[in-house]
Amino acid sequence: MLRGMLARAGARLVAAAILLAGARAAVAAGSPDGAVGADTGDANVAGGPSAADAVAFPDPRFGPRYVIEAVRVAGNRKTETSLIVGELAVLGLGPGVSLDASDARVEAARYRLLSLGYFLDVHLSVTRGSKRGSVVLVVNVEERGTLVINELFPATSEATLFWGGADASEMNFLGRGINLGAGFVVSTKPLVPEAHAGLGLRLHVGVPPLGGPNGVGLSVTGLYNDGSEFYRTSGPDSDADPGRFIATRVRRVGGVLTAGKTFTHNLHVTVAFREEQLSATLPALRSQTLPDGTSVPIDFMVQEGASRVGTVAASLDYDTRSDPVLPRSGMRLALSGEVGTWLLGSSYSYVKTVFNGSVYLKMPHGHALGFHLFGGAIEGQAPYFDRFFIGDLDLLLPRRALGINFSTQPAPNFLGTSIAGQRYANYAGRLLIEYAVPIWRHRGWVYGGDAFVAVGVLAMASDDDTLTSPPIDLTGDLGLRLDTYVGVFTVSIANVLSRSSF
Amino acid sequence: MWCHRVAAAVVLASALAAGPSPAAAADPAPLRAVGFATKNGRLNVSVGLQDLFGEAERERLKSGFATRVLVRAALEEASTGEPVAVAVQRAEIVYDIWDEKFGVRTSDGLGVERRAVSPTADEAIWRAAVLFELPMVDLARLRPGAEYVLAVRGDLNPISEDLLIEVRRWLVQPARGQRRLGAGDSFFGSFVSIFVNPRIEDSERQVRFISQPFVLGVAPTPTRQPRPQPGRSR
Repeated sequence: MLRGMLARAGARLVAAAILLAGARAAVAAGSPDGAVGADTGDANVAGGPSAADAVAFPDPRFGPRYVIEAVRVAGNRKTETSLIVGELAVLGLGPGVSLDASDARVEAARYRLLSLGYFLDVHLSVTRGSKRGSVVLVVNVEERGTLVINELFPATSEATLFWGGADASEMNFLGRGINLGAGFVVSTKPLVPEAHAGLGLRLHVGVPPLGGPNGVGLSVTGLYNDGSEFYRTSGPDSDADPGRFIATRVRRVGGVLTAGKTFTHNLHVTVAFREEQLSATLPALRSQTLPDGTSVPIDFMVQEGASRVGTVAASLDYDTRSDPVLPRSGMRLALSGEVGTWLLGSSYSYVKTVFNGSVYLKMPHGHALGFHLFGGAIEGQAPYFDRFFIGDLDLLLPRRALGINFSTQPAPNFLGTSIAGQRYANYAGRLLIEYAVPIWRHRGWVYGGDAFVAVGVLAMASDDDTLTSPPIDLTGDLGLRLDTYVGVFTVSIANVLSRSSF
Repeated sequence: MWCHRVAAAVVLASALAAGPSPAAAADPAPLRAVGFATKNGRLNVSVGLQDLFGEAERERLKSGFATRVLVRAALEEASTGEPVAVAVQRAEIVYDIWDEKFGVRTSDGLGVERRAVSPTADEAIWRAAVLFELPMVDLARLRPGAEYVLAVRGDLNPISEDLLIEVRRWLVQPARGQRRLGAGDSFFGSFVSIFVNPRIEDSERQVRFISQPFVLGVAPTPTRQPRPQPGRSR
């Protein structure tokens, strides 16, 4: 009887794995199959036989053994053959190499090529070589469109009737794996006195890593911004009336040169040099009348006339997330430091340090719990656009588009603190807790979808602030995050609020 | 003011998100006739999953590299969904480009490995993707009069767990050293990486189904069993 019970318990575990991976998942979660990264419906739930365990034979070798005479690539009308051959070489597949018909590197090579995002499908095969046992390794690829729209900025606010633009890139320019991107944002003339219509442009070129896929990658980004920033001249901090602000006009022309290298096990390191030429026109009115009638000078956080920004920055990025879009486990930790110094011709001397961390925990039923921590500090006098901006921290406010702000909206101030007076600050922090529930898995063109709720607290301050209460506020979001064949979409309350800020 | 804004945003977001509901997304596995037979005190099952192979997959059998098939089956009580027993069959097919024949090896996970040579793709697929009188469970473990169903999932070229981990890493941080944005990178922005979004499944093709109910002690419903292939030995 005991034996029967044990057998039954074992069967329950194993069967649960099968059913969760298949038929039952279809009913319970609409998930007939666990896509990579979805982390739901994987066959190893409950400790049963995963595909990995079940598919392996005791002796992995089966079938003929080959020696590769040559590698031939077919179907690549756009992508350079050398790029594909280079990816195979990383896995040790190339002329002179011997392998079995069931060699695991063959399948790994297929998925490595697919993960580049350049191909719809990839298949490897062999044809007879010059003698028995010698083969030509044939890689058949089916290319796909590689134009990516990274961002769209259609929005409106009380201060600016409309601003819009896009940031797009071609990931495989000239078939050489070159990333060529461009972005723009334009706006109507803001209603703030002395403001000008905004224009922001970006051009980005990233070349494949020098010396192969594990080498050093280089990229150059050119920027041009001509826009206004708004400074309060009167009224309480909670008043977003554009008439109570005054505008500067700042032109920025410059660029960033970045070198990056991916080390083993998810660590990416970059070093960047930035040079910008600034031209700032400040308004005639340079003081703010406080509600008590006193007048204080406005800190425009930018030098009048011509000035320069020269910085060097370094960043570490450690990423073990199970999926870039709908993570269920792992973490992403990013630490960066940027120094503006006269040695690089900078008119602004400062040190900026930013930490961004996200940790994801698996929860029952395929749910996920995420913790997101952001913290940053600036020591010195950074120009306003390099400081922490309330709209970038508060999910409920419009964030900057290509570095230009178009809104006078203060933080909602749910806690009744001094946060409403904070727009640009030297210190900033935010903690978000997010809970995600899977609602779609592999439904046609929707790879997956999560409903999520995020709540958090943020804080901002500068050294010279005279605070009547801690400058903190609550923020959050509620919505859907969809990973689809045509891209990643988030439909959420914060998204709507931040694009229609009145 | 903020209450009104939030309320309006909720309404708008809800309208935008209106789509297939989770309930609508539910998609029960289809039914497929399975042969149940009792032999030597055991329940054997027979069913074919040759539809794992479409035209393209059949063509690629001649790639010279291994094609793998994994079939997992679970017998469960129909009323409670309680699993009673499971069985696994794995198989590999390799085409010899010189001899122009298919080598097939199969195993039921109990350590017994069978090897055969098939002259045609059809026969190779039959050997790899058909459960033929597969021992499922001792009859003593079944309750007379109780209704059971068989849940089956077949995978073509399932990915190993090690490779899954590696692929996830590549997806987060592709080999070219260019970072791929995730949703969190845009501070919950609405659009990220539109038009190129590689997604990799955990196998190339899958077949799932549930059998017709089976009751021990009642003559099994006559079903069409997979036709044994010439030369097939069990």
